[in-house]
Amino acid sequence: MGFLLALKMAIASIISNKWRTFLTMLGVIIGVAAVIAATGFAMGSTASITSSIEDLGSNTLTVTLFNKGTNRDLSYNEFIAFTEENSKYIEAVSPTVTGNATIKYEAESYENSQIIGTNAAYELVKNSHVQDGRYILDLDLEFRQKIAVIGTAVVNNLFDSKDQALGAYIKIDGTPFKVVGILDEKEGGQEGSSDDAILIPLTTAQRMFSSAKINNFTILVSDSELVDETVVVLETFLTEFYGTDDSYRVFNLAMILDTLSEVTDTLALILGGIAVISLLVGGIGIMNIMLVSVTERTREIGIRKAIGAKRSSIMTQFIIEAVVVTGLGGIIGIIIGILSIQLLISKFVPPVIDTMWVFVSFGFSLVIGLVFGIFPALKAANLNPIEALRSE
Amino acid sequence: MTALVEMKDLKKTYKMGETYVKALDGINLTIKKDEFVSIVGPSGSGKSTLMNMIGCLDALDEGTYFLEGTDVSELSSSKLALIRSKKIGFIFQGFNLLSKLTALENVEMPLIYQNYSHKNRKKKAIEALEKVGLGDRLHHKPTELSGGQQQRVAIARALVADPPIILADEPTGNLDSKSGKEIMDMLVDLHKQGNTIILITHDTYIANTARRKIVLKDGKITEDVEVS
Repeated sequence: MGFLLALKMAIASIISNKWRTFLTMLGVIIGVAAVIAATGFAMGSTASITSSIEDLGSNTLTVTLFNKGTNRDLSYNEFIAFTEENSKYIEAVSPTVTGNATIKYEAESYENSQIIGTNAAYELVKNSHVQDGRYILDLDLEFRQKIAVIGTAVVNNLFDSKDQALGAYIKIDGTPFKVVGILDEKEGGQEGSSDDAILIPLTTAQRMFSSAKINNFTILVSDSELVDETVVVLETFLTEFYGTDDSYRVFNLAMILDTLSEVTDTLALILGGIAVISLLVGGIGIMNIMLVSVTERTREIGIRKAIGAKRSSIMTQFIIEAVVVTGLGGIIGIIIGILSIQLLISKFVPPVIDTMWVFVSFGFSLVIGLVFGIFPALKAANLNPIEALRSE
Repeated sequence: MTALVEMKDLKKTYKMGETYVKALDGINLTIKKDEFVSIVGPSGSGKSTLMNMIGCLDALDEGTYFLEGTDVSELSSSKLALIRSKKIGFIFQGFNLLSKLTALENVEMPLIYQNYSHKNRKKKAIEALEKVGLGDRLHHKPTELSGGQQQRVAIARALVADPPIILADEPTGNLDSKSGKEIMDMLVDLHKQGNTIILITHDTYIANTARRKIVLKDGKITEDVEVS
C-alpha cells in the first residue's frame, strides 16, 4: 500500500473524528508552542542584553566613588595620575558629571535630557561618535568653553533639522551654549534613551552644577583579556587608599552579561523541560486514543485483513495516522508559538524566532507520533482476522 | 490440471476454556476449477472453521492444504495475506463493508493491497460494480443502500481482483427471501460465467442450489454428493 494512500486514509479518519483528534493533539500543540515561545523568549532577552552591553562596550569598567566610611578623599587628579601610571591596563578614562536642566532654543523648551559633563576620551570609552560637527576637545575643558554636543532626540525636540541645530545657540538653565556636534543615533532617537543626551565640557559642567567633586569614571581597558586583572588592580589601589572597600564600586559589564545570560539560559532550560514533558504527556494521550481507535475499528481491521491487507499495511496505516495527528499538532503549535512571540513576548524583548527550534520541535512531534503510535499499530496489526471479524 | 483446493487429513483443534474442541477431524477434500460447491451442516459442525481454512484466515494443526498447488501451511502471515487478496473473494453474511467508504471505495480495497495503480483500480472496481448491477450506485455509502444492494457491493468486492475462488459464508443469512433469491441467482450466474464458488450455509434449500453438496458433521465429511 502506497504512502500517499495511507496518508489519505489517515486524513479521512482524522476528519471523521475532528474533536477527538483536536483534543488529542492539544498536548502536542501546547508542548510545541511552549518550546518555540520559551526559546524565543530566552534568545530574545539574551540578544537584547548582549546588544545593550555591547553598545556600552564589553571592555569598559565603571568606577563610582562614594567617599563614605572614610575621611580620605581621592581627588580627580590623583585618580587620573593612577590611571596614567597603569596605562598597561587602562587605555582611556572618562570622568563624568551629570545633571538635569531646562534647555531652550528660541521658543522651544525641553527638560528631559541628561546633561553629561565629560572629556574628549568619552568618545573612545563609550564608543559614541559624532555624525556631524566635532566632539568635545580637551582644549574645551581648559577654557571652560560653552559648547555642546547633542543627541538626535534633542535635535528632534528642539530643531526642524540637523542643519539648523549645528552652530545654533541653546540655553541650558539660561546659559547659552553653542551646538558644535551631533551624536550618532543609537536607539532610534527616542526620548529618555541614550540618544537623549547633551555632552558639555567637564569643567563647564562642574561650574554649572557647582560640584567640584567628580565621582564617576568610565574606564576603557586596553585589552578585553585584561578586564579581570584591571578590576583587581583598581580594587587593590582603591581599598588601600580608602582603607575600606565600602567607599567605591567597580562595575564590570562583562560580569553582568555573564550573570544575565546564565539566568536566561536557566530559564530557557526550565521552560524547555516543561515543554518536553508536555510533549511526552501529549504522546501518551495520543497512544491512549489510538488504542481506543484500534478497539473501535477492530471489525474494520478484520475486514481489511480478510481481503488481503498485510500486517505491515495495517501497521503503516495506524502509525501514519498517529504521525499525522502529532505532525498537525506540531504545525498548529508552531503557529501559536510564533504568534505568541510576535504578539506577546515582543512587548518585553525583541522577537527572535529560531528556525532551528521550529524544525527541532516539529521533528520531535513527528517522533512522538512515531514512538507512541507503534504500540497501538502493533496491536492492530496483530489482531486475528477471524476474531476481528466476529467483533461487533 | 491441479485442483484448486486439495486438503488431506486436515485437523484443527480449538481450546475453549479448559476443554479442547476438535473443530475439524480429518478432512479430505478436493475442489476443482469451475465447481459450485456448498458446504452444509448444523452450527458447531465445523463448517465455519473449514471456511476459515479454505480462505487462509486460519492455520491448520495437522494435515496438508494445497491451494492451486501451493502448500499454504508453510506460508508466512504476509504471504497468506497476499494469497487471500489474489486467490479468494470473500462474501460474508454480515456484508462486512466499511461504512465510511463509498461502494466504489469498498470495491477498490482489495486492489489497494495488491498495489494496483489508481486508474486501473477505479476502472476494475467500476466494472465489477456494473457487473452486479450497481453501476449507478458508485458513490453511495453502505448505509444508503438496501441489504441486497450491500451484499451485491460485497460480491463486486469479491470479484474485483478476479480470484479463482469465491468463498461465500451464509450470503443470504441477513437478507429477506426476495433479496436472498436475487443474490443466489447472481451466484448461479457467476458460476455459469466460469467462477468457482464455495458456499457455506446451514440451509439445505440454499445448499441445493449448488452442483455439489458436502455435508459436515462433528468436524467430518459425512456426505459428498452431486446435486441434480
